[in-house]
Amino acid sequence: MRDHALNPFIKYLGRRFLFLLITYFIALTIVFILPRAIPGNPLASLLGRISQQAQVNPEYIRSVEKTLMEEFGLGKPVIVQYFEFIGKALKGDLGTSISAYPKKVLDLVIPVIPWTLALLIPSILIAWIVGNTLGAFAGYRRGSLVDKIALNTSLVIGQIPYYWLGMLLIFALTVKLKIFPGQGGYTQGTIPNFSLNFILDVLSHYILPSLSIIISSLGGWAIGTRMLVVNELDSDYVSFSEHLGVKSNTIFGYVFRNSLLPQVTGLALSLGSSLGGALITEIIFNYPGTGYLLFRALSTLDYPLIQGIFVILIASIYLANFFVDFVYAVIDPRVRLGQGES
Amino acid sequence: MLRTIFKPLFRNKKFISAFSVFILIVLMGIVGPILYPKDPTAYAGPMESPPSKDFPLGTDTYGHDLLAQLLNGIRTSLYIGFLSAVISMIIGLLIGSISAVRGGVVDDLLMSFTNIVLTIPQILLAILIATYLKVRSAEVVAILLGILGWPWFARAVRAQLLSLINREYVYLSRLAGYTDIQIAFEDLLPGIATYALMSFILFINGGIMGEAGLSLIGLGPTKGVSLGLILQWAVLMEAVRRGMWWWFIPPGVIIVALTSSLLIVTTTMDEIFNPRLRER
Repeated sequence: MRDHALNPFIKYLGRRFLFLLITYFIALTIVFILPRAIPGNPLASLLGRISQQAQVNPEYIRSVEKTLMEEFGLGKPVIVQYFEFIGKALKGDLGTSISAYPKKVLDLVIPVIPWTLALLIPSILIAWIVGNTLGAFAGYRRGSLVDKIALNTSLVIGQIPYYWLGMLLIFALTVKLKIFPGQGGYTQGTIPNFSLNFILDVLSHYILPSLSIIISSLGGWAIGTRMLVVNELDSDYVSFSEHLGVKSNTIFGYVFRNSLLPQVTGLALSLGSSLGGALITEIIFNYPGTGYLLFRALSTLDYPLIQGIFVILIASIYLANFFVDFVYAVIDPRVRLGQGES
Repeated sequence: MLRTIFKPLFRNKKFISAFSVFILIVLMGIVGPILYPKDPTAYAGPMESPPSKDFPLGTDTYGHDLLAQLLNGIRTSLYIGFLSAVISMIIGLLIGSISAVRGGVVDDLLMSFTNIVLTIPQILLAILIATYLKVRSAEVVAILLGILGWPWFARAVRAQLLSLINREYVYLSRLAGYTDIQIAFEDLLPGIATYALMSFILFINGGIMGEAGLSLIGLGPTKGVSLGLILQWAVLMEAVRRGMWWWFIPPGVIIVALTSSLLIVTTTMDEIFNPRLRER
């Protein structure tokens, strides 16, 4: 019996994992195709730009040029280039940076990823928890003044772009009130270590960018949960419980729990879109994560680095999605038993 | 038909106020540059001066008049939002309705494709594509945002059409020998017209936000002025940390006012047209 119940769960996870692999493979393919498909061949112009600077340091430039030619496999048939590219990527070789030559792309991206994840994941989770709770209360007291105020503020606050909210926070709390530092991940000149002072310093730099992500995504969750709760209140079990005289708090508990399930899937999808916002937030705050690295890569037109950041971020988002799918399957028996799939 | 749609809308106070805000901003973008005919890209006066009688919204580091920048920026941002919305709308309607009407393998293929585009983060893909485009006009940015924005809409269109497709009148049409295209256009699409209209508004929002995001990291239009480009220069020139609020506050306020007024318009439409919500 037990095995029988477990099977659909494994099948479900297997399918999610297959989807993850396919999408990741497609992301790699996009990275391969784009520079070759867009007219004006950016690789050629990059080589041109590099050889223009050749007078300054011919030795160095020649080696960059050679690596570039090799890495992009220019000159070989496209299909060979493609398989070489995929083969390398699967071995974890995403090429060599141009602006930080001869550093490997992977060695540049890996150290900044923890900063981005540390900024993104707690902020999204806090926004998710607070937003859902607020939305549930508003929905449960639908039509009340509190509900109307909450709904309308959420609507407007939800429309504030992360980065602009970040600018406002810097202006108010750094420039005017001088409460929090407005840039960087820690005070410039200090060397990262595990002392209490450094940790406090990191936290004080963390608050503003994190707040900008929390505030701007909170409203969306609140509106979503409110709607789900309002729909849920129509269910038979709610009116039945009411007739039975079940305590209002207990009913609210049921409704809250049932309304939250769709929001778990939403959490997975939001990781991807929030990441875009977090990248720009990092740029506004000069926060030492992937967004800041991306910004530097963009301003130097370091194509291998830009591509590498893209591939690695996509991979981490898919892994996060997979993880949320897993959690979802654990808490929703319909998925676990293979009935909740559409 | 139109009367029955618009009459209840214009009786709703929330709708009227949000709609007025939207129209006001649209007018600022369309009529504004005519009433305030200053070149947004020309040197206008003393650099970085706060708002004054001569420069109602002050100037930036290059002595550009920021009110002229704002008015022209609204125009570009609205244009990009609108154009990208049209593109997303067409792709979404096509894929969603083909998927629903045809079913079978076509449906499976189209929906897998849709799911894949849906899970690749839009902004990342936009960043990647935009880096390879040396020259980016407002249209190019709109197309880029438009071809990335449709997946959720295609899925919703398919779902809604599938619920319509089993109604009696569709069977009657099939018996009468209607083609798939006739059924889609005459029987099905009118049924999702209000939903499509609301989605269109959300697409405009997405386009305006997307433009601002791309521009902010230097991947917006390479020429002209937009709300995002004003913000980009404000960031590059450290306007925030140097306290030049007149530079970055107005474009942000306009973006928020535009997108939230449009969102309120759609939610009130939903309350009015969605019978499940209306009963309350």
